[in-house]
Amino acid sequence: MSRSVWKGPFVDAFVLKKAEKARESGRNEVIKIWSRRSTILPQFVGLTFGVYNGKKHIPVNITEDMIGQKFGEYSPTRTYYGHAADKKAKRK
Amino acid sequence: MTDRICVGAITGSFGVKGEARVKSFCAEPAAIGDYGPLTTKDGQTSYSLTITRPVKGGFAVRLSGVKTKEQADALRGTTLHAPREALPALPDDEFYHADLIGLTAVETGGEELGQVHAVHNHGGGDLLELRQKGRTGTALVPFTQGIVPTVDLASGRIVIDPPEGLLDDA
Repeated sequence: MSRSVWKGPFVDAFVLKKAEKARESGRNEVIKIWSRRSTILPQFVGLTFGVYNGKKHIPVNITEDMIGQKFGEYSPTRTYYGHAADKKAKRK
Repeated sequence: MTDRICVGAITGSFGVKGEARVKSFCAEPAAIGDYGPLTTKDGQTSYSLTITRPVKGGFAVRLSGVKTKEQADALRGTTLHAPREALPALPDDEFYHADLIGLTAVETGGEELGQVHAVHNHGGGDLLELRQKGRTGTALVPFTQGIVPTVDLASGRIVIDPPEGLLDDA
């Protein structure tokens, strides 16, 4: 069952607090969070979060198209090393 | 930079008419047929590959010089390598994983950080996995203009300007 609209998106309060603090300081830093269940809000765009995957913090640069997703979706808990073959990486 | 890139592997025979079953490691699996003759890991044997049909877990292919099921079965486990030059040129700011892996990462100050071990993408952009010098474990670095301002394939190094706390985790 989906979440009631009147409740708004769920975000752990300390994530909001950390993000606010980082934005105010204006420093280029990775905000370490353990809350994988929190929703990505528009005010997080442009910040870099280190989302814990049970072992380490995976850096996630928040972009507009991530809004509404959960942080945990970008921090997989299992690692897979495939073959490089002809796969490409784009520097954004 | 490696001169030959592993693009697939032979996983056995397909049918009884000498076709082989090939697993593709390419981003677009059918692209394995586009890179011309493929060689074995040691580069001694070369095969021209023609895809006949897609099958479960890969493609059924016809390999030059392989005429019987027994010959195809004997090749099970053989990896297929394409020459690096066969891959098409990419626009600026786009790189093959194979080119990035193995590059030396240095900080903006010139201090060596380690080597690129792998490239990941978990949906939030590409990440370089660095094996840090003098430390156990690895660190992940977002592959962005801000954090990786310079990629110099010719000299085999990348320059990293890590934000605070990025490399602490390893």
